[in-house]
Amino acid sequence: MYILYTLAIPLITSAICAIFGRKTKIAAYAAVVGMTLSAALFTANLFVATSATAGLDSFATAAGLSTVGLMIAYVVIVIGTLVTWFSLPYIGNAGRIYYPLLLIIISSTAAAVLSTNVATLYVFLEIGTLSTAILVTYRKGRAFEAATKFVVLNSIGSSFTLIALILMFVNYGTLNIGSFGSTSSSAVLLISLFLFIGLGTKIGVVPMHSWVPDTYGEAPTPVSTFLAGTVKAATAFILIRFLFALHPTLDIVLLFIAVTAVLTVGVGAFMAYTQKDLKRFLAYSSIEQAGIILFAIGIGSSAALTGGIFQIINNMVMKSLVFLCVGAIIAATKQRNIDGLGGLVTKMPIVAGGFLIGALALSGIPPLSGFISEYLILQAGFAKGGVYPALSVALLVLTFPMFAGYIKVFQRVFLTVDQKIAAPRVSNLSIYIILPIIILSVLCVLMGVFPTAIVDQIHKLSLAILGG
Amino acid sequence: METALAFGIVWVICAILIVILNDKWSTLALLALNLTIATFLLTENDLTGALIKAVFGIVSPIIILLAVARTKQPRPRFGTAPLISMALLTLAISYLVAFSTQSQFPTGRTTESYALIALFGIAVLILVSQRSILKLLLGILVLENIGTLLIAWGANTALLSVVAEVFVVLITLTIALIALMDFAEYGSIDSSKLTNLRG
Repeated sequence: MYILYTLAIPLITSAICAIFGRKTKIAAYAAVVGMTLSAALFTANLFVATSATAGLDSFATAAGLSTVGLMIAYVVIVIGTLVTWFSLPYIGNAGRIYYPLLLIIISSTAAAVLSTNVATLYVFLEIGTLSTAILVTYRKGRAFEAATKFVVLNSIGSSFTLIALILMFVNYGTLNIGSFGSTSSSAVLLISLFLFIGLGTKIGVVPMHSWVPDTYGEAPTPVSTFLAGTVKAATAFILIRFLFALHPTLDIVLLFIAVTAVLTVGVGAFMAYTQKDLKRFLAYSSIEQAGIILFAIGIGSSAALTGGIFQIINNMVMKSLVFLCVGAIIAATKQRNIDGLGGLVTKMPIVAGGFLIGALALSGIPPLSGFISEYLILQAGFAKGGVYPALSVALLVLTFPMFAGYIKVFQRVFLTVDQKIAAPRVSNLSIYIILPIIILSVLCVLMGVFPTAIVDQIHKLSLAILGG
Repeated sequence: METALAFGIVWVICAILIVILNDKWSTLALLALNLTIATFLLTENDLTGALIKAVFGIVSPIIILLAVARTKQPRPRFGTAPLISMALLTLAISYLVAFSTQSQFPTGRTTESYALIALFGIAVLILVSQRSILKLLLGILVLENIGTLLIAWGANTALLSVVAEVFVVLITLTIALIALMDFAEYGSIDSSKLTNLRG
């Protein structure tokens, strides 16, 4: 299976980077070449598979993988590659650990998404978590505090996940996710709750979210980008795979998730609106996005899961885009306080355009990609009946502060020129910073204008997940 | 008394010891705890599981011991009586929970379920009541070891044993490393003193 070889490339490159750790530039270029090669091979594999008569579905089935799993792993690798490009000029002195750990996080996230075995999935998830904990300490000082919160809370989450996985094996007698039979309702309830607490902590669900703003705020921006955009969304996909593999599915668990999701959206949106720090603003906005994905899980219908999984893919692209734009602002101005910035639209037009596209897409404005997925989720919420229409309205209302927050940030950072504050000095940006922003902006628009191919594949998976 | 229940009680006693004693002693308690599980697995004829547990069970307390030595842990400032009474209360509540759910508990083994739920209560108690990063780590380890117990009782596979044990050590190593960094930066590993970031 060539796809799996492409996932091995980042791991091999990681070892090369570790060997050349003292020669930072060699390690950095090795990482860029390795990731670009991995993304190119993955693209070539998918291109060959889709052009063959058997199609992508047969290709994925032959490898024992789901088509959507492949698509998500592909997005992980592509965004990982863009983040590595971005790191090249952004991380001046990478030191011995930066590139090896970054590549380990990228490959373990892609591998976790593709895993069909409970034990290997847990291994990849935890390798990513522990590597992240060390990488968060990169900037030293306050980053140690952020890393402490990250590792303690996520380790507690990991313990809950481990117990849930073992309970799955005890009850279903297999480690293969697709082969779970049926068990007692009380067992499913216990496993679901442990899973939700365990993986929910990693996703940043309220009230287990306190590590998110600190970690995303203090980690190097490329790392925050990958964590907020990709790792979080991939973990949500893993939660979907686990939760709907359990039989029987319990409505009470889904309702609990839906209510928690609405709370998560509310807390994320309101807290984001009050932030003065650009990275913390985006961190809270990622909590809000996690809530929207969880709401889709909480509805639990095929339409909702289609919207939810599409939102996962969208989130990877949209959130990475806005984080990279903020990274570009920080790289150019050495400033991350919203009040200390202004008038950047003329000095950084590409970054301003990228941020606007990302912000509008995240706010669900048509015709951008976020609109389709959020529309599908809300429509499924209204269609489900019971308390779900009310929860959908609450969700919709609670997303308004987030939209207002994006408008406020865009207006303050890019448009307003405050005469009392000295104009920020903007240095020229490297092509390695600009190119990822352009690519992600284009993807954001394309996925919104031509969503059919992706949505059709996701809908097939949603029906398969629900046994339809 | 069944072996499993005896084992569960050993776990609970060790967990309490971890919290109330000096950290060097808690390290020894943790070491004893892991070796006890190894012995238990050996009596169940799971030689691979026992070996893995013994090896990793020795490594993780040594990492903690090194971290404790380098961060100059002060002696505990809290009284033992409140903790013991809270632990006993947790045990009592756990047994009540176990009684009320015994027919539905997924392992189908009531006796073990008492010990598991009690251990879970103890772990949560440690995580809620302690501020020292290394003591929080001990709470996490108790939680992780519930997984190990479940493997021993219900899902006895070498693969899961290896996965669980490797991550116990890796988590220990990572948290101990970050505790050392915190100590170098702030001169303390008390999590309540890390207040520059407000979540």
